Amino acid sequence: MNIVVCVKQVPDTWAEKRLSDSDKTVDREGVEGVMNELDEYAVEEALRIKEAGGDGTVTVLTMGPDKAVETIRKALSMGADQAVHVVDDALHGSDALATSNALAKALGTIEYDLVILGVESTDARMSVIPAMLAERTGAAQLTFARKVEVSGTTVKIERQTDTGYDVVEASTPAIVSVVEKINEPRYPSFKGIMAAKKKPLTTLTIADAGVDGGSVGLAGSGTEVAEFAARPPKQAGQIVKDEGDGGAKLAEFLASQKLV
Amino acid sequence: MIEWSDTEIAIRDAIRDFVEKEVRPHVDALESGEMLPYPIIRKLFSTFGIDAMALDGFKKAIEKERAGAGEAEEPTSEPSAGGGDESMQLLLSMELCKANMGLTAAMGVSLGLSAGTIMSRGTIEQKERWVPDLLTFNKVGAWAITEPNSGSDAFGGMTTTVRAKGDGYLLNGEKTFITNGPYADTVVVYAKLDDGTDLDKRRRPVLTFVLDSGLDGFTQSKPFKKMGIHSSPTGQLFFSDVYLDADRLLGDPNGAGAQDGRASARANFVTERVGIAAMSLGVIEECLRLCIDYAKTRELWGQRIGDFQLIQLKLANMEVARINVENMVMRTVEQRRAGKTPTLAEASAMKYYASQAATEVAMEAVQLFGGNGYMTEYRVEQLARDAKSLMIYAGSNEVQITHIARDLLS
Ligand SMILES: Cc1cc2nc3c(=O)[nH]c(=O)nc-3n(C[C@H](O)[C@H](O)[C@H](O)COP(=O)(O)OP(=O)(O)OC[C@H]3O[C@@H](n4cnc5c(N)ncnc54)[C@H](O)[C@@H]3O)c2cc1C
Repeated sequence: MNIVVCVKQVPDTWAEKRLSDSDKTVDREGVEGVMNELDEYAVEEALRIKEAGGDGTVTVLTMGPDKAVETIRKALSMGADQAVHVVDDALHGSDALATSNALAKALGTIEYDLVILGVESTDARMSVIPAMLAERTGAAQLTFARKVEVSGTTVKIERQTDTGYDVVEASTPAIVSVVEKINEPRYPSFKGIMAAKKKPLTTLTIADAGVDGGSVGLAGSGTEVAEFAARPPKQAGQIVKDEGDGGAKLAEFLASQKLV
Repeated sequence: MIEWSDTEIAIRDAIRDFVEKEVRPHVDALESGEMLPYPIIRKLFSTFGIDAMALDGFKKAIEKERAGAGEAEEPTSEPSAGGGDESMQLLLSMELCKANMGLTAAMGVSLGLSAGTIMSRGTIEQKERWVPDLLTFNKVGAWAITEPNSGSDAFGGMTTTVRAKGDGYLLNGEKTFITNGPYADTVVVYAKLDDGTDLDKRRRPVLTFVLDSGLDGFTQSKPFKKMGIHSSPTGQLFFSDVYLDADRLLGDPNGAGAQDGRASARANFVTERVGIAAMSLGVIEECLRLCIDYAKTRELWGQRIGDFQLIQLKLANMEVARINVENMVMRTVEQRRAGKTPTLAEASAMKYYASQAATEVAMEAVQLFGGNGYMTEYRVEQLARDAKSLMIYAGSNEVQITHIARDLLS
């Protein structure tokens, strides 16, 4: 089974994130980039499926600036076989719609049965790319998987819901997005890290991938950030003193915040 | 070489990730002794494939030695125990020291000194008997030279003795301050040969033996209570008429090596001292990271303490120490790559400077944190207690000075 894992480099989860004033996109300069955490689970799942099946390749697919190659290396050092990096200045500022377009085109250059990705990225948190990719490629959509089972050309997942899970099944090709519960990502071994540099890495411009320049980047995006403001500073908390009615007061507070 | 390569940085980041998830949550348990360091070290080894790589290296080294046997009587002079790339080991020491120096000490002694000595001095049979289990950390190693009345004067003052008995030897005496001593499975022990002649005791030959725990007459004490590196168990070893088969004498009994335990111990000095510099760098980097963060966030008189010049002086001094020690470490990495080794005097100078710099930086870090610095929760007090040990073991700093001076004046 040939598997593509989509990974994204995002600003370090713990770093303070900013939007740039000029074009209102995420400021990626000056912040350390890391692999989007959920994508580590996606890579792990792809490796496990490949290891269980015993054949096929795992290809890492990334769209992002030059620097994103660090994240590609991490996935390769975990054990993926090869990588495709779509890098082009014209991609800067792409929203989910434009990104899914470019990724779908890039997928067209790779042979695959399964595409695995994390359910969301920690910088944008839209959670729509998997569905959009399925739509654009015509592959089955298996999202929010907390368990994946592959047998032959059938892929069965447990789809995480608010109350439990649904079992969803499709045949390949399929797009699977995974939640954190699915596995425990491995650390890259030192040997894996040293081998990563020698694994094949294909770099594609948008022209190479067959992407129309007008359909990506800020201009090709269907959405636009109109305005943004810094998060207001933390307010002092409210202290509830228990004078026999503490429980009731807590319940009142939670209800007033629409938390219960 | 001025900085780590991409691959080394990726290795460092992976270690950091491991330290964050697998070490830091257990620091309190490690420090209290509730948890031993060995399971974490084993996990570290299997996670990163360090054990498999070391075994690979070991097999190759043995094959090479076999192929070369006959013409080359000299044992391999390769001091590393086959644990792979030197820079990888330095990075590992550095990063572990940031969270828990005891882990580095326990790991370094078992691999570097215990396996390292057997690897550089032993016969092929001895290497195959003891080294693989040490490389994978299936077994814990210790290396015992210090005695209650002989530390800096280890060889001269040594009173642990062996006498010939039957085909083997009888060992008597005691060792102290032995890292991993309480739990070690494999112990490299240095002892003076008492062959009945009236040769001056200080000049008698020193022999090196490998002991397994459980030998009759061999007792391992409980861990000492100590100032720092709590997670590295340190103890005493007692030998009362321990019978040692001849094959426990390290090296070919007919070769020159076996009669020269002094050279075997000294062979470790350079690697060990460079290792101390890397550990010091870990402490300094961690103190600087914590202090910069604190200087930016702690506010007094309506401003962050980082705006006070006296705090700035502390930070600047820490940065100077960091640059100096980093330069020293990087220089040796580059030397090794070029197939060179620092001289003993150079390695001693590095150990002397780096351990003192780390101790000073860590004490200043405690000061910068004020009352919080004295509290365990903020971790700088642990770094300060841990750092102090670097000035004492691997040859006390006063002894380093004598080694540097001897070279300068020779
Ligand atoms: C945590 C820890 C772990 C250790 N682990 C091991 C181990 O695994 N194996 C092992 O064999 N040993 C180990 N040691 C022992 C260590 O190597 C010795 O403590 C060290 O060499 C100093 O010896 P000493 O304690 O006998 O001090 P002493 O030699 O008694 O020194 C006392 C003081 O005199 C100074 N001094 C000594 N000689 C001179 C001189 N010529 N000129 C000026 N000053 C001098 C010393 O620097 C020191 O300040 C460990 C020690 C510690 C603290």
